[in-house]
Amino acid sequence: MAYAYLFKYIIIGDTGVGKSCLLLQFTDKRFQPVHDLTIGVEFGARMITIDGKQIKLQIWDTAGQEAFRSITRSYYRGAAGALLVYDITRRETFNHLTTWLEDARQHSNSNMVIMLIGNKSDLESRREVKKEEGEAFAREHGLVFMETSAKTAANVEEAFINTAKEIYEKIQEGVFDINNEANGIKIGPQHSTAGGAKAGGAGAGGAAGGGCC
Amino acid sequence: MPQSDSEDFESADEGHSNATRKERKKRNSSSNYSDNLDSDFGQRKPQPQESNATEKVATTDGWDDFDLDESETVKETHLKFENDKPKTSSAQDTGWDDFGDWGESGTVKSEEIKQNTTLEYSNNAQNQPVTTKETEKQIKSDGWGWGWGVDSLLSSATAGISTITSQVSQGISTVLETGIGAPNPEELARITKEKAKIAETEVSEEKQEVTDTTFQFGSLLSGVTKFVENTGTKVISGGLDTLEVIGKKTMEVLQDGDPGLVKKRAMLGLETEKPILSQILREAKERGDEEDKMKEAKREAKEVHYESLFDDFEGLVHLEALEMLSRQVSMRIEERLRSSDPEKRQDIKETLQQVAELCEMPEEDEDDDYEESGDLSKEDVFHERLQRATRDIGLKLQFQPLIKQYTETLTWLESNELNEKAIYKRAVSGLAHATACCVELYHKTGEMLLVKPRRSTADEADALTQLTVVLTKHVSELATIFTEELSKKQGEDKESVNNYITNVFLEAGNSSKYIQNAFQLTLPIIQIGAV
Repeated sequence: MAYAYLFKYIIIGDTGVGKSCLLLQFTDKRFQPVHDLTIGVEFGARMITIDGKQIKLQIWDTAGQEAFRSITRSYYRGAAGALLVYDITRRETFNHLTTWLEDARQHSNSNMVIMLIGNKSDLESRREVKKEEGEAFAREHGLVFMETSAKTAANVEEAFINTAKEIYEKIQEGVFDINNEANGIKIGPQHSTAGGAKAGGAGAGGAAGGGCC
Repeated sequence: MPQSDSEDFESADEGHSNATRKERKKRNSSSNYSDNLDSDFGQRKPQPQESNATEKVATTDGWDDFDLDESETVKETHLKFENDKPKTSSAQDTGWDDFGDWGESGTVKSEEIKQNTTLEYSNNAQNQPVTTKETEKQIKSDGWGWGWGVDSLLSSATAGISTITSQVSQGISTVLETGIGAPNPEELARITKEKAKIAETEVSEEKQEVTDTTFQFGSLLSGVTKFVENTGTKVISGGLDTLEVIGKKTMEVLQDGDPGLVKKRAMLGLETEKPILSQILREAKERGDEEDKMKEAKREAKEVHYESLFDDFEGLVHLEALEMLSRQVSMRIEERLRSSDPEKRQDIKETLQQVAELCEMPEEDEDDDYEESGDLSKEDVFHERLQRATRDIGLKLQFQPLIKQYTETLTWLESNELNEKAIYKRAVSGLAHATACCVELYHKTGEMLLVKPRRSTADEADALTQLTVVLTKHVSELATIFTEELSKKQGEDKESVNNYITNVFLEAGNSSKYIQNAFQLTLPIIQIGAV
């Protein structure tokens, strides 16, 4: 598929918070209650439209296990957006946010848009982390915040798309240098080629029209 | 140029006028919008040439035709049309021949006149016997043909004048004298002809002029004869010459400031420069079709574009991730080297070198000693090879995506009645898919090696080297399966099938490179386990 931009996302957070489930819900619109542990990093991609432009989101879903921590750190580089996920039913996942955030800030570019996500909002009865706490943490660290449910798909689209909008705005503001791929943004292949081919085609047509006399 | 191709095609649709049209086009150097009109003429043109001369008279085409001949001889165009017709004949056509043609037509016409006049005479005979005699004589000489006809007509007219001078008024004789003084039409035509012959470059134009002139005289003549029929001899003879003078004057006036009557002819609708709506629409449609075709070709090109397919199967992103991992691990090795004591540093370097040597690809020694274990299916054989190769790596590797892809490929090839293009498409996408699976395998293996609690570098190096051998062999086998299938289609379109086969092997080579590249990226990950 042709796209105007490609944004690289990373999903980070403790193991079992539902990172892979969020990705699956976003890319395949389905929920899988039992998920294999992610090894290193897995990938997902989806096309979205912002401001009439086709944008391909390439999502790097990292392993949450401590063992993979050093590996996943090497994948942060070149991400334009990050979803930092915790589980609202497990306080410790919320408590680890600071470490994750430091990691992310350290190993990625400073312009990376970070979305804080409190997942499993469908499990209201087992909630351990209040929504206000999440909001406060986000405010404190300059993040965007949202509670989601990979199971019910609540806010999943919004989480991914709002992040993309935020990145897109930064591009418009000139914060991101889209020509530097280290920023996690690639310009779509059709941008340069389609225009060129179109002009070439018209030129060829014109030449043929004039040349046959 | 595809555009010009379609141009040819279009003219073929319009019938046999292709060459003629081109000829025309060249001569007029008009825009292609005039094609339609041109071809209308073109289609009719060749006809009178082949038919007999009398027919030529019927329309201006007969003359147009000469005009065309001339331009051909003069301009030396390289079209088939010219070859069909010997040049000599066209040259001959330009001479007196056509005068003969006109003479014949003159015969036809004057015979007609004769009939008419004879009828008329039965009424007039008694009243004016002398005049009748004169007119009869005139008509009879007319029968000799057009060329001579005019001459005789004139002479009889002069004769008439001499005999009836007394009866004619002074005014008329004055007119007559001027009339006699003027060159007769035949002479005039002949002179123009000669001129036309000499002035080769302007031949066509000159001819046209002659044509028109002669024509004018032709109609004038009939007008004159009719006049003769209805009036008395005295008046007839005088009036005849008078009219002739008027005719000449008319021609002069007509041609004044318009040599060759170009403008007048344009007024008659013979102009060919105007764009024609249907033509424009047709061209627009063709352009549209062309663009659609290009789009389709582009879409198809993308469909069988190895790199973008490789990307679609996530091969590229795994390769990218593997590169990042490899780079990071290399940096860690560098750091370890830097932070070590000088003598230990040398040890580390040697170890790294040893591991690298272990990972060198073996020569193609085809040690297929224990091949084809029993009656296993192809995919089982492949699976077994993969497992045997990575037996000692100490990891549980996922071969399922690769096996699945292989199974799907084999099933697809068996179950379908396929054309070469479908096979080719599937071959490229199959190779891209298999390669993407391979790169993913290296990536995953690398990640797992990095989190492996106890490393066994030698085993890992050996396993991954063996794995690389198996995988490169696998992609070349895949390519062979597809090319064999393509070879069966040789009969259909040999050239494109050969192209497909070449491309499949090319992409198989590409796949091998990706696999070996992925293996090289894994090397630091193996090495770091040893230092």
